[in-house]
Amino acid sequence: MQAFELIASVASPAELAGTDLSPYDAVCLGSPYCRRVEGNYAEALGGIPEVVSRLHAMGKKAYVTSPATPREADLPHVGRLVDAAAAAGADALEIHNMGVLRILREKGRPVPAHMGAYANVYTHLAAGVMRDAGAVRVRPNAEVTLEEADTIAREGRVEAELLVHGKVPLGVTDRCFLLSEPEETDPKCPKACQEEHWLASRQWVLKTVGKGVLSGRDMCMLEHLPRLLRDGFRVFRVEGLYESAAYRSEVGAVYREALSRAAAGGEYRVEPRWADVVRRHAAKGLCNGYYFGTAGRKYVGTVLQDANPEV
Amino acid sequence: MAELLASGGSMEMVRAAFENGADAVYVGAKGWSRRRAQYEMDDPQIVEAARYARSVGKILRVAFNTLPASAEVPLFLAKTDALYAEGVRDFILTDPGLMMALKNRHPDTILHASVGCTIINVQDALFYKEAGASQIVAECRMGMETMRKIKEEAGVGLEVLVHATTCYTLLGRCTMSSYTKHEHRVDAEGKDHFLGSPNRGGLCYRVCLTDWDQVGADGEVEAAGLTLPNTAFFLADDIPGLIDLGVDTIKIQGREYSVALVGEMVRFYRELIDACVRDRASFRIEPWKERMARIVAERDAERREKTAGLIDESLADGRQ
Repeated sequence: MQAFELIASVASPAELAGTDLSPYDAVCLGSPYCRRVEGNYAEALGGIPEVVSRLHAMGKKAYVTSPATPREADLPHVGRLVDAAAAAGADALEIHNMGVLRILREKGRPVPAHMGAYANVYTHLAAGVMRDAGAVRVRPNAEVTLEEADTIAREGRVEAELLVHGKVPLGVTDRCFLLSEPEETDPKCPKACQEEHWLASRQWVLKTVGKGVLSGRDMCMLEHLPRLLRDGFRVFRVEGLYESAAYRSEVGAVYREALSRAAAGGEYRVEPRWADVVRRHAAKGLCNGYYFGTAGRKYVGTVLQDANPEV
Repeated sequence: MAELLASGGSMEMVRAAFENGADAVYVGAKGWSRRRAQYEMDDPQIVEAARYARSVGKILRVAFNTLPASAEVPLFLAKTDALYAEGVRDFILTDPGLMMALKNRHPDTILHASVGCTIINVQDALFYKEAGASQIVAECRMGMETMRKIKEEAGVGLEVLVHATTCYTLLGRCTMSSYTKHEHRVDAEGKDHFLGSPNRGGLCYRVCLTDWDQVGADGEVEAAGLTLPNTAFFLADDIPGLIDLGVDTIKIQGREYSVALVGEMVRFYRELIDACVRDRASFRIEPWKERMARIVAERDAERREKTAGLIDESLADGRQ
């Protein structure tokens, strides 16, 4: 049995192109933020069979995400998405909205559910309700500590996925911040969110992707991987949405090597070349979210805490 | 007729809300609702408020609508057991697991799915109904068509906020505040107040309302002094439509406002709803607008002051 699973998020063929997937065991396809993201795998359903087959041929699992904020008018599409993911043999559907989970259940659970970052999994009881509705895996909310995540998994009797690297999801909306006109008519859509935009105020920096707010700093759990494995966590995500192919490729390679070493036991330390990679790709510095009970933008540790201290 | 539900941030506010015409008042259990502790009540105060509500033939609803830690579930059950023993039956919750646990323990409790559930479609409403809720709060930007569909298809009560805020992000799906500052403060009962997390402890530092610069990849400022849209609304035009739709509860949020202002707001909505129901055919909203504008101005002044204080509070820890 494999010691761990490393997942990359990839929104579209454009993001997939040039991304070295060799470090990853699984890919989560699509963007949950906006249906209008160009080529969004969760929207362009015709592309799902081909990419799922391709990933399977590479020996990787293929998950498909779903919209995080589906309004009533989006539900027919969600129904078709569930059917398409199941028909293509996707290994799971990532779900953020309880209505989508219910649709999956009503359809007889044709594909396992993974509860995503916006599903608000805070307690083992909530995880249990979702498990009973078809979830086999949950991603505890970003605000949940490692200790709580362990309880959720153990007492909720469901696998837990942890974000180990990348922007922390902080908020989701259905109104695009980057547009000045309705999205159907604004010429900036759908390109605006593919460019890099930050929100800066006082000592805070956030990243805006239009319908999502992400952390400015990059979550980095590199120096804590042995602890995660010791605590029994086995499923780890590198958040690759709205990042470059180099980011997904190089950060993934670092985590593959680091996790393999941590899983083998013995001495573990953050290699300088690993630190170089994560620092180079973290334009606004590093943090490790809420895992240790702090504010999300802080970094707890002894190795990488000095990155961009001014942010 | 739709129930008018008002906020009770203190015993004084509970009384003022009922005296001004509320049919029901919600209060927050200390450490367990989507406001900070100063606007919540401890158990003896809740019991007192519930007794008062019963004495005037009205309803008191108790909010346990934060998302706690798993380790706090036994405390939640003990507290709700104690309130149940004192005759409290109406609760507002967010976590579907807590809903099921409470409903299984006390099948005659009446559970409302909080605004924190972010219910945006009919399937969401059905999910929370199956978790034990008999009424759901519509997400603040939900359109009338979806409300109509929920009424027709979900078989669950519908609650609509007429005075609240529409955050930039969907309410209940935002952790921007705790990203900037987050503290764990455990009270004597063992409840963590998760300061800085509106979802977990009720205190939001409203950092979305500070001035933000939008900066591009090259560091160039693309737009300066932006605020992320977070608007306090005060709906009046929609009231006739909501009544026609048959919504079950019209809710006024605002535990953090002054008792006098909450009293004014409740009186305004009470009279407006009564006038509309009394003579729907000839009801016109225009005569109400001037009075409404005065209340909104008062509300905005109180809100501005509080927002500035909250952002300063968040900055107090800014360099750590």
